[in-house]
Amino acid sequence: MSFWFWHGLRKGVQSSRYPRVMETAPGVSPGRPIPTTFRSPSEAEQAVAECPVGAIVAHANLADVVLGRCIHCQRCHFGAPSALEWRNDYEWTAIPEDEENYAPLPTAYRRSLHVIVVDAGDCGACLHEVKQLNNPLYNIHRLGIFFTPTPRAADVLLVVGPVSENMRVPLLKTYEAMPTPKRVLAVGACAISGGVFGRSAMSAGGVSSLLRVDLEVPGDPPPPLVILHGLLSVTGRTTPVKNLSSSVVRSE
Amino acid sequence: MTEADLIRSGILLFFVLCGCGLALSGAIQGRNSLRIMAVFSTICSGLMMLVAAVSLISGESPLLQLWDLQGFGRLSLQLDGLSSIFLFVSGLVYLPASLFGAHYLAKRFEGRYPAQRFGVLHFALMASVVLILTSSDAYSFLISWECMSILCYFLVNYEQTRTMDTRAGYVMLAMSEAGFLCIVLAFLVAGKMASDFSFPALAMAATQLSTGEVWAVFLLGFLGFGVKAGLVPVNFWLPRCYTAAPAAFVPVLAGVTLNLGVYGILRLNAGLVPGHGVGMGLFALITGSISALVGILYATTENDMKTMLAHSSIENAGIIVAGIGASLIFRNSGFAVPAAIALTAALYHMTNHSVYKTLLFQGAGEIEAATGTRQMDRLGGLARSLPGLSVVFLVACLAISAVPPFNGFVSEWLTLQSLLRSAVLSSSIVKILFALCGAMLALTAALAVTCFVKTYAMSFLGIKRGSWRENSNDNLRRLHFSSIYLALACLLLGILPTFVIPVLNRAVEPMAGASATSSLVPPFFSATTANQQLPAAFLEDFHNLGAQSGAKIIPGRGLVILARGGEQNPVIFAMSPSYSILALALLLLVTWFVVSRSTRQRSLVRKELWAGGIPRLLPEMSYTATGFSNPVRVVFQAIFRPNVIEDTRDTVSVHFRTAIHRRRDETHMVDRLFFHPIGDAVVWFAKLLAGMHHGRLNAYVAYILGFLLIILLLYRLS
Amino acid sequence: MSAARVLDSTVERANLETITVALRERFHGAVSIAESGVVGSVSCENLPALPAICRFLFWEAGCSFGGLIVEEQKDHWDLRYLFLAPQAGWFEVLVKLPLEVTSIPSISPEVHAADWHEREAEDLFGLQFEKHPRLGDFILHDQTWAEGLAPLRKNFDITKVHVNGQTNMDWRPLLVVRDPGAFAMPVGPVYEGGIGESVHFMLETVGEDVLRAVPRLFFNFRGVEKIAEGKNVGDVLLLAERFAAKSSFAHSWAFCNAVERLCGVAIPLRATHLRIILGELERVRHHTGAITGICESTALTVSASQAAIIEEKLLRISCSFTGHRYLFGLNTPGGLRRDFTKQDFDNLLSGISEATDQLQILEERLSFTSSFLDRLEQVGVVDPKSARDLNLVGPVGRASGRCHDLRRECPYGAYEELAFDVPRETEGDGYARLRILFQEAHQSARLIRQAINRLEAGPVCAVCRPQHAGAALGWVEAPIGAAIHWIRLDESGLVQRYRAITPSFNNWMGFHAAVEDFAFQDFPIILATFGLSATECDR
Repeated sequence: MSFWFWHGLRKGVQSSRYPRVMETAPGVSPGRPIPTTFRSPSEAEQAVAECPVGAIVAHANLADVVLGRCIHCQRCHFGAPSALEWRNDYEWTAIPEDEENYAPLPTAYRRSLHVIVVDAGDCGACLHEVKQLNNPLYNIHRLGIFFTPTPRAADVLLVVGPVSENMRVPLLKTYEAMPTPKRVLAVGACAISGGVFGRSAMSAGGVSSLLRVDLEVPGDPPPPLVILHGLLSVTGRTTPVKNLSSSVVRSE
Repeated sequence: MTEADLIRSGILLFFVLCGCGLALSGAIQGRNSLRIMAVFSTICSGLMMLVAAVSLISGESPLLQLWDLQGFGRLSLQLDGLSSIFLFVSGLVYLPASLFGAHYLAKRFEGRYPAQRFGVLHFALMASVVLILTSSDAYSFLISWECMSILCYFLVNYEQTRTMDTRAGYVMLAMSEAGFLCIVLAFLVAGKMASDFSFPALAMAATQLSTGEVWAVFLLGFLGFGVKAGLVPVNFWLPRCYTAAPAAFVPVLAGVTLNLGVYGILRLNAGLVPGHGVGMGLFALITGSISALVGILYATTENDMKTMLAHSSIENAGIIVAGIGASLIFRNSGFAVPAAIALTAALYHMTNHSVYKTLLFQGAGEIEAATGTRQMDRLGGLARSLPGLSVVFLVACLAISAVPPFNGFVSEWLTLQSLLRSAVLSSSIVKILFALCGAMLALTAALAVTCFVKTYAMSFLGIKRGSWRENSNDNLRRLHFSSIYLALACLLLGILPTFVIPVLNRAVEPMAGASATSSLVPPFFSATTANQQLPAAFLEDFHNLGAQSGAKIIPGRGLVILARGGEQNPVIFAMSPSYSILALALLLLVTWFVVSRSTRQRSLVRKELWAGGIPRLLPEMSYTATGFSNPVRVVFQAIFRPNVIEDTRDTVSVHFRTAIHRRRDETHMVDRLFFHPIGDAVVWFAKLLAGMHHGRLNAYVAYILGFLLIILLLYRLS
Repeated sequence: MSAARVLDSTVERANLETITVALRERFHGAVSIAESGVVGSVSCENLPALPAICRFLFWEAGCSFGGLIVEEQKDHWDLRYLFLAPQAGWFEVLVKLPLEVTSIPSISPEVHAADWHEREAEDLFGLQFEKHPRLGDFILHDQTWAEGLAPLRKNFDITKVHVNGQTNMDWRPLLVVRDPGAFAMPVGPVYEGGIGESVHFMLETVGEDVLRAVPRLFFNFRGVEKIAEGKNVGDVLLLAERFAAKSSFAHSWAFCNAVERLCGVAIPLRATHLRIILGELERVRHHTGAITGICESTALTVSASQAAIIEEKLLRISCSFTGHRYLFGLNTPGGLRRDFTKQDFDNLLSGISEATDQLQILEERLSFTSSFLDRLEQVGVVDPKSARDLNLVGPVGRASGRCHDLRRECPYGAYEELAFDVPRETEGDGYARLRILFQEAHQSARLIRQAINRLEAGPVCAVCRPQHAGAALGWVEAPIGAAIHWIRLDESGLVQRYRAITPSFNNWMGFHAAVEDFAFQDFPIILATFGLSATECDR
């Protein structure tokens, strides 16, 4: 019989020390495109054309990035004629544009948060990244965050996927069944803006068309540390970004 | 007027009133007949309780001499301790049961069956029950026993248009007659040396019986009375019959007539013809334990509520008889105090069982009236439509599961404790058997909890699984007085055991040889250091623990049940339901107070049930009684031996199953082991004999010749 | 339709001919040989003979069922019943129906593996399959969608929302067990102890054993095949990558294969080897994830943690190597979008070696944990006959004796030059599936090493522009099993029809055979040993 207790002890502590210490291991994040100033407006326009989902918006020489739309297709990254600069960070959680009264959860929830995850048409990557938060390398239990299967005990509703039509009612029921105070976290490009699936007869094109979203976690998929940043922002332990595009105008 | 006179006149008055009630309810038609029945029953049961109470309190056992029958001797009635306890319990149960019966018949069977018939039979049965309990000679006993059996049969087949159920009554009659035969034989053997058949004479003559004859009396009496008491292997009529009996009568069947079997065992085998040695007690102990286990196993896996309660009655009867057996063993081994404890436990359990079983059967009747079904798979959600009944039924379920502060706890606890006292015995074999039986009874207690959790949860809680119309202005929503009465009795018998035990002592002391009161209820209220009824240091310790609380307010010896050992072991066991319930209530109050003061008021929002996101949680998605009890069925498969599990799957092909039909055929273990083999043997024998009836005249003449030759030969040889 | 360019060897051709000849003998008059291409094809002229033809192919010729591809052309229906002939290649039975005819004999009573394919066609196209035992309430859930919608028909306007959030609250499931004490335990769609895909089960039981457990999927149905219509290849590539991200590289590879086959482009050798490296990297990571799931389901937490560490490390290796944890954005028709340096390969190799060593240690430790094995052995058994009947693919199929691997049977890329074993077990229980996962991970590492050694300098992408309209099939052995993508382009190079037949779709159909007659408590474990993805099935 294998002595699992001993094998576990020998492995030691593998957890990242984020948020106290920034995590620098390679491969924890694919990085993101950041607003880049080009030499000429035509190059900026070229950058806009590279993006298949309209996440790049040009203002003169500046190619601005609407990170909520970015699907990490890397077409503005490797080998692109007008490649944007990429930054390898992971604190991307943002308050939605039209959200004026955002407030994190009361301080009682700082170190004890229960999250319910609803898969509303997700491709599997965002869900899998959420699942990785439980592994020893991230270990969210040390931060007091737990995943619960029942909405009755949940404080945060974490939605992944563009909300397929068949999941519309289960999602709404889940939200209804949660007691106040509650917050909604839209994780992934699909949950924020519909991703590549957009708005159609079969998918709602994002959670905001159904529920009031408190925080958006962009990425396709957002790596675990980004989601962790999002969860910590809900409790107020880290600060979300007000909006990730430096300009106010968004293209449709 | 002395108490003895009071008792005598009370008994006579009872019979007179019973007769009046019988005549009146037989003569008057319709609803009024039931009202008359209710009124007269109340008075009669009240009289029963009064007479018994006077006898218990005063200690008098007056003898009533009746007529002198030529050749049979003098018929007489006597109310001694044992009789008065059973009489009291019968009265206690008859009152609510008859009120419920009248009320139920009035609501349900308006005009379908003649109410007079029920009234007549009811009073006749009441009279015969009292006669059985007070008879002091074998003739009146046997005659009234037979009357009781036949009257029970008539009452069970009251709803005579339901043919399936009438067959159950017929089985009951057949078994009752077989049992009666055994009882008659037992009395005959017992009275071999006696001058006449009165009980005192039989008791005196019993000392001259040989061991073999005593065993014969024991076995015949035990099995004969065991039929009525519901012991394995003679109880296969009981589940069928209790299920078939009308809801107005079943409470009486379960609460009163079952006790008569126990009374018979106690009277004949423990009282009149007590044996020597531990064999008989062991037989009773083992039979009781097995009955208890088999009963509760079948109860746990049964879905029909009445059948489940019938099996549960078998279980409780088994516990009572096991207690009696333990008492016999202790008494015959010379340990009077443990014998007294065991017998007290048995009698207490008998009392408790009568009370809560009556309540449970009444509840089952009301449920059937409200929903039209008894199948627990098809019930659910009744707590909303029958709120009063749900509270009362919960009390009964808690009581039968032996949960404090209700009465089942005290008797179950005392039974198990008395089995633990087997440590004082010397023979290891007996001790091992005690241990095994104790283990069986403990398993029984655990299964009983499972069974009644299932019953309550599947019937009252959850969603409605069947389809019945909710009748919002139904009278059945209002709680009937009889249910409240019985629930209160459950509570009182549970929290005031120290008042019940001295009453039971009147029967226990003569039979066991030691006083139950002094063994179990130390006088913490009245004993002082000056009084010296208990050792001073002992008294001091317990008074510091608070055993004297309530001495000024409550009369009696004390509120603690405690068994004392010697110097080495001053306290063998102790408990006090009275103080426990007070402490519990106090704790709850304090907690409520603290919580309500220290937490913020939050608003309560009611939302719909969470079911994983499906549109609605449907009844077919909720747990059924079958599912709940399936683990028990699987674990005890060797006992249940489901014969055939037919699993036909209608398919277009194997992948596309459109329907799966399951049918489980199970025969009851007792049926399998006793009823069917006996039946088969009888049929085989009959076939054999039938071979003789072939119609050939020559052979018949040969039979006569042969028989004649044999007789002549025998005469020659003797 | 015009034929695609022949790219495959003549040996395969010979075997497909045998089947065609046999068919013609058996069903003369009912079949006619269509123009042959990559996929051997016969056309079914006599509709009532269709079930018999498919039956012959599935049971007697020993083919396995690939899928059903339905297309609505301008004036007729095209139904292709795709079969995989053993050691031979793809074979299809083509049925052309006039548009007004929407009724066709069902082949499901003969070929059970076609059950869900036909149900999908009914839901999405409105085709009625006669004698199919159970149609309806499949993709378009009855409680959410109105009746009579056929989303994949050309006249369905995808931008209009047809259901305004009115759900039929009186929906009742179709229960199978008829017993007064039977009940159905609902599990889902929001469930699974924290984080799980949206699947709904009604576990019908009478207490202990689950008697019937057909899953209700398509909660994640986003209509990928419909969204793809009218888009260019680049955009549809994004869809192909993102509908099932855990096998994203495999699906994008299959898609690119189809496009490349249609354009008649041969991709550079370096790109082929790189694709093999990336595909096998994805397989190792996916299988490690499945192993983690199995350990979690049996609550052997330490082993689950250790497997999770290996998986996270593999994800990080993928990210450092390619720039994305799930290998998005690498495949493009014609090859890959980027190249890698020697340092990248060295890092990759060391990472893979470490992961394989860890996996081996884990496997050994698990094989000595009897409490763990007790929960897996003899649990969730799918016998070889059922596996054949239900056409299970991938590791699940291989655990039940079905040793089909597209890398061997229809080699794509450069797999025929590389040495690897395809593991096979016959017990079909949970432990067999676990063993297969470990062995395949090991073989994948082996393949990565061989591919890296064979890498030659060169371009990684060829120009791939569609010259004319046409249709083509692309296939890949995805981690869960055989993935088939079929695409039709019009003259301007826009996608007219995109069909993705995923391995999870096939395996979910057969999942109930493993669960039935086992206890409730075994259900999550059996679910974990199958390692299926609902979203891959749902598209």
